[in-house]
Amino acid sequence: MAELIYEKGFDPKAIVDFVTFFTVSQGPEIGPRADVEWWSVLAELDGISINTLVERLEEQEFGKAFVMPSAYDAEDREKAMPFQPVTFFATSALVTFLNDKRSDVGISTLRVGGVVDTDFLDPEVGPDAPPPPIKVKEGTVVQAFVDDGMGIAHDLFRKKPTESRVYFTKIFDAVPLPTSPSSIGRVLELTDVNDLLTQCTFNDVLDEELFYTRSGQVNLAKDIFSTVANRRSHGTHVMGIGAGHDMEDGVDDRPIICAALPSRVVKDTSGVDLLPLVYLSFHILVKQARRFRTPDGGYAPVVFNFSYGNLEGPHDGTGIYATMFERYFGPGAHADGAPDQKAWLTLPAGNANLARLHAINAKGVTEPRITLDLIVLPDDRTANHVQFWMPASPENNQGNFAKVKVTTPFGAQTVEVRSQPGSVEQILDDQGAPVALLAYQYVAGTTQRGLITLSINPTGSLDPSDVLAPSGLWKIEVRRRSEAGDNPIHIWVDRDDTLPGHGPGGRQAFFDNPDYERFGPLGAPLPVDPPGTECPVRRASTISGFACGPSPIVVAAYTGREAVLSDYSAAGPLNPSPHMMPPPREGPDVAALADDSWVLRGVYSAGSRSGSYVRANGTSTAAPQVARLAANAIEASTVPARVWAQQEVAANPFPLNGAPSAERVGAGAVAPPGKAPWDP
Amino acid sequence: MLTDALLTNRDGIVGARMNNIATPVAGLANSTKNLPRLSPNVRASIFQAELGPTIDVTFEMDEDCNPVATLWRMTEESGSGTRKVCFDPMVAMTAPTMDQLVTQLDLVNGYARIRPDRAAEITTQVGVPTAFFASVGFIDPARTPYTIELLYTALGFSSLAIQRMKYALALKRPIEFSPQVQPIIGTPTHGTLPSGHSTEAFLMARVLWKLLIESAAPQYNDRALWGTMLMRQAARIATNRTVAGVHFPVDSVAGQQLGLTLAEHFYSMCNGGNWVSATFNGPNFDAQSDFDWHQLYDPDGDTQAEEAETGGTVWATSEVRTDNKIDASPSLAWLWGKALDEWKDFGPVKCE
Repeated sequence: MAELIYEKGFDPKAIVDFVTFFTVSQGPEIGPRADVEWWSVLAELDGISINTLVERLEEQEFGKAFVMPSAYDAEDREKAMPFQPVTFFATSALVTFLNDKRSDVGISTLRVGGVVDTDFLDPEVGPDAPPPPIKVKEGTVVQAFVDDGMGIAHDLFRKKPTESRVYFTKIFDAVPLPTSPSSIGRVLELTDVNDLLTQCTFNDVLDEELFYTRSGQVNLAKDIFSTVANRRSHGTHVMGIGAGHDMEDGVDDRPIICAALPSRVVKDTSGVDLLPLVYLSFHILVKQARRFRTPDGGYAPVVFNFSYGNLEGPHDGTGIYATMFERYFGPGAHADGAPDQKAWLTLPAGNANLARLHAINAKGVTEPRITLDLIVLPDDRTANHVQFWMPASPENNQGNFAKVKVTTPFGAQTVEVRSQPGSVEQILDDQGAPVALLAYQYVAGTTQRGLITLSINPTGSLDPSDVLAPSGLWKIEVRRRSEAGDNPIHIWVDRDDTLPGHGPGGRQAFFDNPDYERFGPLGAPLPVDPPGTECPVRRASTISGFACGPSPIVVAAYTGREAVLSDYSAAGPLNPSPHMMPPPREGPDVAALADDSWVLRGVYSAGSRSGSYVRANGTSTAAPQVARLAANAIEASTVPARVWAQQEVAANPFPLNGAPSAERVGAGAVAPPGKAPWDP
Repeated sequence: MLTDALLTNRDGIVGARMNNIATPVAGLANSTKNLPRLSPNVRASIFQAELGPTIDVTFEMDEDCNPVATLWRMTEESGSGTRKVCFDPMVAMTAPTMDQLVTQLDLVNGYARIRPDRAAEITTQVGVPTAFFASVGFIDPARTPYTIELLYTALGFSSLAIQRMKYALALKRPIEFSPQVQPIIGTPTHGTLPSGHSTEAFLMARVLWKLLIESAAPQYNDRALWGTMLMRQAARIATNRTVAGVHFPVDSVAGQQLGLTLAEHFYSMCNGGNWVSATFNGPNFDAQSDFDWHQLYDPDGDTQAEEAETGGTVWATSEVRTDNKIDASPSLAWLWGKALDEWKDFGPVKCE
């Protein structure tokens, strides 16, 4: 065992979350570090209110070490509930304090997100006042989008040249405005957007370069960047598919609300960075959606779309993602006096089907001992994480289900941990500096599983003082013990690739086992695991970790011309859990158009500037196709969202060749929502 | 080959000398009627000879030791036997300080983030960006040859002014402020301010816009839409040079002011009439500001802003001058007329 070099008093059993520990102590990204770093943090409060948490932190003299988002209004701050998730911003010192169970301030789980630029934080802003209601006409359906690069000025989101349909925009990567105080980022109300449209229109022509500078989304002198500065931006494209209408049509019953995630978070595509701000985005937008009232005083229905995916999480319908979405979109969403607003959510199934990011160790499927060849690429500027999810077991009797052994490239070092509390190993370089961490922790709540995480430092940096992990082939051995019985151990590599339009950052690590069959006899990629394969690396269960809960509509991708499911479209099944039986889903619910053909990859939708249209593909573009259909159906529908989606497939089917399994396509493929504004 | 052929050909058909052939009439001296019979490169020399002497550049240091370059405009000729000319200041340009350029470097570095998006435009705009203006106005060598000749005449003339102003101010390029700019095209050896691309793009845009206005075609005079798009195109071309890493945004601002003013001078050389006297005061420009073309010009009415300011500090001025006019050059007036004809509508056929 390598010696743990963390400071005196380090107790691995006291660590709440090892990814948080690794991230704050070793850093998720290489680069200049501020003296005092601020992080976004997601914590679950264990039966205490936000006000109580604030009081306790102040008592511990951390009063100036955190910023509680103004989006938590006075009512939110008074509620005390079990496992209440709260996003806030904290210094490294406070994160370290909270990540130690001995701190005992009433936090049960903790997840750190990305570093937050202090220019975007305003600690002086108190709780928001309840926003005034917005009267809308009968038949209005609100459409909500959480994404990045939101081209809100595009003509598809306007009903007149200087009248927008975007009633609310939260921009996390922007300096707060004194006229519209916010503890993080900037808020644009409808009047703000309309004023900007008017100010930036000259001779009846909108200057969108100027618009996005004045909206705060782009400030190149301050290194504030959004992909709306580029020709193609993810959020604009997604929102165009889901809620774009020809401006000439003057559509006034589809108001839009949206939250623009920071580009830095998007750059580091591990779910680790995303979670706190995603959670805050949903909290903010759910409240905004409740402002829309029909003439009879009722709440206008709302359809959310969140076109992001990841591979983190237990994939069993429990866990922090499923909890988040169930809180707002599940059957219990209207409990505790919450308004009775019909709310649906569409999510992409994910694009990892062929990415070799998932493996399994299960009785009757693989040998008890499996070996995984993890390729960690050179010049990777961000950390890599691999999660090993154990079978479920109670916290007071955590099962000793497996041993995980990791050997660094060329066999330089080998460490091993067991799925037992306190089992943690560190990998050091030849100078004695830590380059990787292999640690066990228990995930409580409804998940109730042990989790081993392998966290690996970046492999590339221009700063010679940074401690880098070796790139190359990392050998991982997972030995399943008989205690696991028939229950599988699932392994997922977190996403860590660089998205188009962003600077070089992450490079995706992947499994490169020699017995993994990538191609069929004719040379085409195999979209499903070959029957009888003993290779532990699998296409099955690559479904996005966000998309495993019971209530959201999860959408796979198909290719129109060839009428086949797109090869990259990720699949179920879910990881079985005794706490979620039967599993809430086999895989996606439906498939929607994401590629026009094998040659014309992707579908057209809005480019970043008015009048421009660009191609993009992936299940990210399939989900908003269904969101558009859902917006037309939600008001009249009397069934839950997923049931409606299945009915929609029956009513407007798009027959697919190859008979894809339910784990890949759900109820089937649905025809596109009709003529798009950009169709000729 | 052809010469050999003509030699043998003449030997074959020349025959005995012919006598008493009628004498041709003398050439029409100094007349624009000759211009259509001249090759374009000969005409270009004539046009440049008309335009070149109308400007001059001087240099001085102001009281704060900032370099000031002044572009002068010839306003009067008089006398017999001797020539006397006077010059009025047309563009007075004060260099921004080095500290301002250091501040502007943040913008240059920021713009580098959109290089992948703009790379194709940047590389195809290194030369004269005719195709980009042709994508807004219907310019084509077959359809509008005189318009192209007019624009290139203006550009050829502007090159003298641009290079002389750059030489006078001698401001350094972004690449000399940081090794991390790493431009994606070669940095030109001449000074950074005013931006030549900005000057030329706004000169082309305004001259073309004036043609469209004078054409009286209804679509071109509808809400200045063509004018606005031409200016957007010019601004994009100028900004792309910052994206490439070879210019500061303030270079584009100064270039726009110079290009717009030269366009007005060029127009008056073709048509007579008013002219514009303008200033750009670099030290007064907010170094944290980006380039925003609307601050100096409105295509609706084809007017330069009388003042441009930030936070109450004026950094640019312009004044329409109705005094000291000079007559139009007949040869340039001829070229303008030929170009204008290319934009006028013929129809429609009237049905009884």
